[in-house]
Amino acid sequence: MRAICNKEGFYLSRCGALKMMLADNDQQLKENMVSIEEWMKGDMKGSCLFGQLPKFEDGDLVLYQSNAMLRHLGRKHGAYGKNDCEASLIDMMNDAVEDLRLKYIKLIYQEYETGKEAYCKDLPNHLKPFESVLSKSKSGFLVGDQISFADYNLFDLLLNHKVLCSASLDSFPTLKSYVDKIAARPKIKALLECENFKKLPINGNGKQ
Amino acid sequence: MAPYTLTYFPIKGRCGALKMILADNEQQLKEKLVTKEEWMKSDTKGSYLFGQLPKFEDGDLVLYQSNAILRHIGRKHGAYGKNDCEASLIDMMNDAVEDLRMKYIKLIYQEYETGKEAYCKDLPNHLKPFESILSKSKSGFLVGDQISFADYNLFDLLLNNKVLCSTFLDSFPTLKSYVDKIAARPKIKALLECENFKKLPINGNGKQ
Repeated sequence: MRAICNKEGFYLSRCGALKMMLADNDQQLKENMVSIEEWMKGDMKGSCLFGQLPKFEDGDLVLYQSNAMLRHLGRKHGAYGKNDCEASLIDMMNDAVEDLRLKYIKLIYQEYETGKEAYCKDLPNHLKPFESVLSKSKSGFLVGDQISFADYNLFDLLLNHKVLCSASLDSFPTLKSYVDKIAARPKIKALLECENFKKLPINGNGKQ
Repeated sequence: MAPYTLTYFPIKGRCGALKMILADNEQQLKEKLVTKEEWMKSDTKGSYLFGQLPKFEDGDLVLYQSNAILRHIGRKHGAYGKNDCEASLIDMMNDAVEDLRMKYIKLIYQEYETGKEAYCKDLPNHLKPFESILSKSKSGFLVGDQISFADYNLFDLLLNNKVLCSTFLDSFPTLKSYVDKIAARPKIKALLECENFKKLPINGNGKQ
């Protein structure tokens, strides 16, 4: 059983994809919530290796950095490709998803009121490569013939963007059906419909 | 014949660490340089999957994203830990190095004149975790008993920061000897002293 300490346990934030991957693999997750008030006291922050959450525990292994967690779970649950070549391509895809997530985070936390319109206008330029990759994919996943941690990550980020820029997927038929397909996976569907998950705000500042 | 090809700008930029890990493993690297002028021609950028460089080729495998390239080389050359647990810790360390690299890049390209002093003043806060980890390490490397791709990445970034904020390593004896130790590895030493490597500007805008 794994435990996650998450101040972003009050928010979905950087933990959506890992929760989806765990759910899809029938894995239990114990969640330790850290409130903003507790976080601001500093003791918890000081105890975190890089002064950040989330923190993820798998037995004695303690991990920080959300993408390291995704890779760890990917390794354990067969979501990191079937060989080294696929692993490298999945790494590349995940890093590209992370690039877009960083833009999203910057918009949400630093520029929401002034930058939202321009962001949504520019979004298609960042979605085109994923549309292109997926439209050439036989399996419908980013790499190879199985779902990988990069898929959960992209899926989660696309859900965020559907909320932010509602019509963003309309010009991307492959991405649209990709989202529908992953959302329809029974355990993902169950997670998305579960009250505990639905009630989480996406971001820490309430903007979305 | 070089199995590896790198397409990049004529700078060290995001390719210092990968050149070091290749050199340390006696791997040939064929380099294709793209000038700023060529890059600004609109059709050039569009031919790269995410519209960015570096591009790395290993036979038929084409990779973008500098950290995916580091992971790929790490996998191939025994620089990714000796088991999955170490691999996950190395991922975490590399992601933390990347966090700091992004702060460095932001300073260099967006805030150099106004932000340099504050950056150098704040830098120790970001180095403390690495000093702490390395001071507990028996091998002197970030994870386990061998050098990993995260070490080359951190080493490269520390060299950049030595140029930017010259005396910062003075208060970090473990980091200081870490840098000295890696720089003294014969093939790294040879690379650092090699004309082709020395003459490369660190960053694309000439600031450092």
